[in-house]
Amino acid sequence: MANTTAPLGPKKVVGSVVPRPKRGVGVQTYVPEIVKGLGITMSHFFTNTKEMVLGQRNDPVLEAVSDGINTVSYPEQRRPYPARFRGVHRLTHRPNGEPQCVACLCCSTACPAQCIHIVPAEYPQGDPRRGHERFPREFVIDELRCVFCGFCVEACPVDAIRMDTGIHPAPYDSREQFIFKKDLLLGFKGRDGSQQSSNPRHEPGDPTHPGVTREHHH
Amino acid sequence: MPQAIVDFFASYGWLLLTVGKALFVVMFAMNVAVILTWVDRRQGAMIQDRVGPDRAVIWLPRWFARGAVTLPAFGVAALVVGLALLDKAERGDDAISFGHAIVVSQLALFMLWLTGAALVASAKKRASASAVDGFLASLGEPRAIVVLGLSAQIVLFLAMVLAGEHGIGGVLRDGAYGGGVLLLTAAILAGALYTAAAMRDERVGLRLIGLLHPAADGLKTAFKEDIVPPGVDKLMHGLAPLISFFPALVVLAVVPFADTLCFGGSQAGAHLDITGGLLSTVPAGAACERGGFSLQVADFDVGILYFFAVAGTGIVGAALAGWASDNKYSLLGGLRAASQMVSYEVTLGLTLIGGMMIYGTLQVDEMVRWQADNTWGVFVQPLAFVLFFAAAVAESKRIPFDIPEGESELVAGYFTEYAGMKFAMFFFAEYIAVVSASAVMAAIFFGGWDLPFVQRDGIRVAFGDTVLFTQQLSHGIVVLLGFLGFVLKVLVLCWLQLTIRWTLPRFRYDQLMRLGWRMLLPLSLANVLLTGALILVVQAGGPGLESALSVASDLSKAAIAALGVVAWVVFLLFVLKPAEHRRLLTSTSARFAASLGGTPTFKMSS
Repeated sequence: MANTTAPLGPKKVVGSVVPRPKRGVGVQTYVPEIVKGLGITMSHFFTNTKEMVLGQRNDPVLEAVSDGINTVSYPEQRRPYPARFRGVHRLTHRPNGEPQCVACLCCSTACPAQCIHIVPAEYPQGDPRRGHERFPREFVIDELRCVFCGFCVEACPVDAIRMDTGIHPAPYDSREQFIFKKDLLLGFKGRDGSQQSSNPRHEPGDPTHPGVTREHHH
Repeated sequence: MPQAIVDFFASYGWLLLTVGKALFVVMFAMNVAVILTWVDRRQGAMIQDRVGPDRAVIWLPRWFARGAVTLPAFGVAALVVGLALLDKAERGDDAISFGHAIVVSQLALFMLWLTGAALVASAKKRASASAVDGFLASLGEPRAIVVLGLSAQIVLFLAMVLAGEHGIGGVLRDGAYGGGVLLLTAAILAGALYTAAAMRDERVGLRLIGLLHPAADGLKTAFKEDIVPPGVDKLMHGLAPLISFFPALVVLAVVPFADTLCFGGSQAGAHLDITGGLLSTVPAGAACERGGFSLQVADFDVGILYFFAVAGTGIVGAALAGWASDNKYSLLGGLRAASQMVSYEVTLGLTLIGGMMIYGTLQVDEMVRWQADNTWGVFVQPLAFVLFFAAAVAESKRIPFDIPEGESELVAGYFTEYAGMKFAMFFFAEYIAVVSASAVMAAIFFGGWDLPFVQRDGIRVAFGDTVLFTQQLSHGIVVLLGFLGFVLKVLVLCWLQLTIRWTLPRFRYDQLMRLGWRMLLPLSLANVLLTGALILVVQAGGPGLESALSVASDLSKAAIAALGVVAWVVFLLFVLKPAEHRRLLTSTSARFAASLGGTPTFKMSS
């Protein structure tokens, strides 16, 4: 068996010596190089100025790979966020406009920033939902404290809270303005314009309801 | 006019004019410098594919903006009609002047296609909100309108020139004149009214392509705190910005802005009497008979030497600022500034010796006159121009020669310890130095106010003794053309210096000194030697060489004129070339943008 260990000592250099690049008269006098450089800067200047003046500049998102000015002029121009962008929260609606939320407190429990505050309440006497589920009397999110991790959305069992508004939190003047209450959260729409939850509830009495009642258990 | 006022102007009119031209020169330098501060930033942005400062805005109420657009347009339209009526009254039953017909019809067609293309482009962009917009958008591509308009201009011009002034040509001339006046008025009014009607918002932003930025910056520096650090020499620290600022400004005193104005009034006393008004024509090659008014602030005998004397004073400001600031970086910057500017001052002076030998004078006005009679200085002194340009950029302490400032080595060099308006004066002095260097270069190497084939009595295209074309122009128009030509040359040279600033990296200190003393200085000496030899050759050459040189000088003027035409054509082709951008939809955000028809743009109303 041939023992192929590398020999000791410095590695032998394989290859040929690369000669130093020759600096011709053009490079030495620096003048042709200056002219070349001026040509490049001028071509950028003229092309970009023309496109700015004639309103032909790149679309900063669609044509971001072409030469030219790709800057997004921020407050006027806004890059649409990716589909999975986690923006400001919204509360989804039931078909009758009530909040989908059942006040289970999963989201506020999962929240690592503890920015969700929910006051759950029972439905009034006689409502078939009383005893099954609750509703949020208060639902408050402190958007300044939120870290936009999306755990609340993951935790929600009924698709009641979402972060698909595509809105990023605006820079407000005071801390109070970052306290988003239930009505505001219910007012936001998803990017597709929808407000309803895509996870329909099956309430007692509905034909789709599986028929499980509190009486079955007790 | 009451006799008292006429007497006043006869006695003191020259004084008013003199003060006026000095004020004008100062305002010209400062305003161009202010604009340059912004152009510099904006150009850097364009070169680096950014947008740059264009956001400063003044909000105007809609009624005000509409008035500001429409009222001047109505004024200009009334002026056009008024001038046409005045022309009619003056000419009586004589035929319409052929030159007037050509100028009016060309101007009308130009305004027509320019307004048309702009309106169509704007209507297309606004996605036709009204019937007018829809009609405009249906007219076709703006590019096609431009091509059509330009072809119409050329065809009409050729037809009018070929048809001549009589017979069918006379009908064409009258039609072009009458139609031209009508179309010109209509184009101006239509453009203004459409623009006013297109203002739909409650308030309209006045942005002036971003030119409000330097105004805002100037205002800001005026209100900033003037910090004077403890330990500085208070007097010298305060004096340095002034010493730096002032010479850059007063250098322009020896540069003539236009040809001498000739007044026809009687010579009443020791001074010029301007009440006679401008002469209507001045014969070519002749000096003013009586009252010449030089458009140069100070007509010194020493001429260009004044430029070197005053420009050299600027060094003192930089060195003083460095010394008085009590800061090691400032001191280093001041030392560097002093050594650099002293070194390049030598080259600056020596490069012009060749020019002085050829022009045979030190007075800048005489130099320009020599160039008008023969050929531009850049053709007889090309090497000197390159050397002078390099040295002038070094004198203004701008990139690539900005080691006195050297922000990566010396914080901000000699003006590290300056704030507020004092800093602004240093900053501003740099840009004024660019303007004055450009003005001097334009006067010495690019013929000053001379334009090819424009003589004192009009346009005359001639090679040697062969005359191709002549057109009489009035004295005032010739001087105005010369002035505009001079301003254009100055602006182009300023722009070239700014472009260099965005192209080259900073020299190292030893490289800078080597370039100055071991390259530019020997070359400028060689230039003096070479020029002397050439002058001897020309003197020994005899009449044959002289006539050949005369034709060569005419050819050089023709080359300049041809270059101007080529530049205009290249510019048009460049503007008309459609922009090509590659689309690439790889992200969901790009797909969202594509579904919206492009990245959404909102109107910022607050």
